[in-house]
Amino acid sequence: QDEVMTSSGTEKALSLLRRLPRVSIGNLGPNPGAHNEKRRGRGIYGGKTHGAGSGGSGQRQNFMRVGYETGNTPFYLRFSYQTYYKGHHLKLSYTPLCMGKLQMMIDTNRLRCDVPVDVTQLMATGLFSISPQQKEGGFMLENEGIDHFKATINIEVQWANEAVIASVERNGGFITTAYFDPLSLTAAIKPVEFFGRGIAIPRRMLPPQHLIDYYSDPKNRGYLADPAEVARERFLLAQKYGYELPDVNASPNKDILLERKDPRQIFFGLEPGWVVNLKDKVILKPTDPELKEHFAS
Amino acid sequence: EHHCIMAQRLFYPTLRNSLRCFGTTPGWQTEAVAVPQAPSAPLILNETSEIDKNVAEVAREAWIETLDPSGENLHVGLIHLHPKVFATYPRLDIIHENVVWQQKYRMVNTSHTKLRSEVRGGGRKPWPQKGTGRARHGSIRSPLWKGGGVVHGPRAFTTQFYMLSFGKRIMGLTSTLSAKFAQDDLKIVENLDMPSDEAGFLEKLCEDRCWGPSVLFVDDCDLMPRNITVATDTINHINLMPVYGLNVYSMLKHNTVVLTVSASQCIEERILHHLNKPDYHLINCAKCYNK
Repeated sequence: QDEVMTSSGTEKALSLLRRLPRVSIGNLGPNPGAHNEKRRGRGIYGGKTHGAGSGGSGQRQNFMRVGYETGNTPFYLRFSYQTYYKGHHLKLSYTPLCMGKLQMMIDTNRLRCDVPVDVTQLMATGLFSISPQQKEGGFMLENEGIDHFKATINIEVQWANEAVIASVERNGGFITTAYFDPLSLTAAIKPVEFFGRGIAIPRRMLPPQHLIDYYSDPKNRGYLADPAEVARERFLLAQKYGYELPDVNASPNKDILLERKDPRQIFFGLEPGWVVNLKDKVILKPTDPELKEHFAS
Repeated sequence: EHHCIMAQRLFYPTLRNSLRCFGTTPGWQTEAVAVPQAPSAPLILNETSEIDKNVAEVAREAWIETLDPSGENLHVGLIHLHPKVFATYPRLDIIHENVVWQQKYRMVNTSHTKLRSEVRGGGRKPWPQKGTGRARHGSIRSPLWKGGGVVHGPRAFTTQFYMLSFGKRIMGLTSTLSAKFAQDDLKIVENLDMPSDEAGFLEKLCEDRCWGPSVLFVDDCDLMPRNITVATDTINHINLMPVYGLNVYSMLKHNTVVLTVSASQCIEERILHHLNKPDYHLINCAKCYNK
């Protein structure tokens, strides 16, 4: 057994404690500087002032509005816009996920491979934080580590390039790129919190104009692309990169690998319109035909 | 020899669980019959926790004692304690924070002062604004006046409630357990079964073993065996506690802390679970350790 002693600091501390008096409530105290003994300022002589000096408009808290430059056009009004941030509210940023990190998460059992991997599963590892409110779209797979990626998974991310797609498919896996609008993404990354709100699972919105081409392209394995064309592209990519495309029907995880979400679906196994009650462990489904039609469209 | 120890390991837990209901029978006697070796052979509990197995640090060893002094051996066996629970750096400042928190969170301040509007009187302007040579005043109960209201004084029923961060509370427990263990104030006992229910018997036992005047017995289950319950009923400084009641203040208040084997295993499992769970970043644990 390879065992080393605990770090020398801990060893030293514990052996010191053996010779010191018993640790008790009367023995303890805070670290020096932990408690800030602030003295309240009183009058003009005692203690510190309250930051306003003495006398004059400052002490009477007569301040001009923030940004006011005593009459001339202030800086914040001089420039009504700047070109460098044009369209910033439309552009999405994605959390990078290297293939090497993905492989490590799978190897260390941090990421489950017995279910299809999507945003929800990746967020469940606890290693990432996505804030849809800050215009973050989800995950994008990076090239780092594609050479030693060995896992066979069914993964759904928001952005992937050709080399990454090739490395996933070479091992018999499947990759899909899917768009999540901000509301759907908020639900997908924290499902338990979302179910706690007690609202019906919404329909996932279609991508905006500048992204619809990307997700309709079979080369990017877009979720809106024709499955037949995607299969053709898989074959072509295998030829391009020079690997043999493994037969999915022969693999034991065939069902997991072939599972795909509907374009309007956020969670696997749950349809839009359903209300999930985790407390009573019940799913409520709409019965009104109008509602059913709306959610099924 | 190896498979005899394995046999002990297999037999010991199941027998222990089956005898849990019958608190008065000393368990080790029956255990001696089941094991093929001689009854005086010590039992070595080498089981490491399922959660944090691959630890580079060396596990701490502690004797397993028995509360029945009639047997030939005082020490029934040896247990390995996880270093991340029982041999961490003893953060005395975190222990202090925990103690302060335990005392303060339930505090409600009842001290109260009246505001200028609450002090009786003071509605009328004492003298006209101008004409008298005196300073201008609007009310005889303004804070400037003697007998006037207090401006930022204490207001009754102000709670001192706050929650110490989860990581600090975990660290408080591990630091206290480590400090107690380092100072030989942590004892492991196989179970709380005693042959007699007299208070004098227990006091003599504690004195013989140099267990401090105050002793805290911690067990897995909150229904304790009858004998020890009766014995400690009249003694105020020897207390029984289930594992879920374990806290820093109680451990420091009592000179000696005595854990049963199952209690120590339960504590280890729970603390290691919290130290290793993947969403630790949400509960300030990492921040606390980087301090």
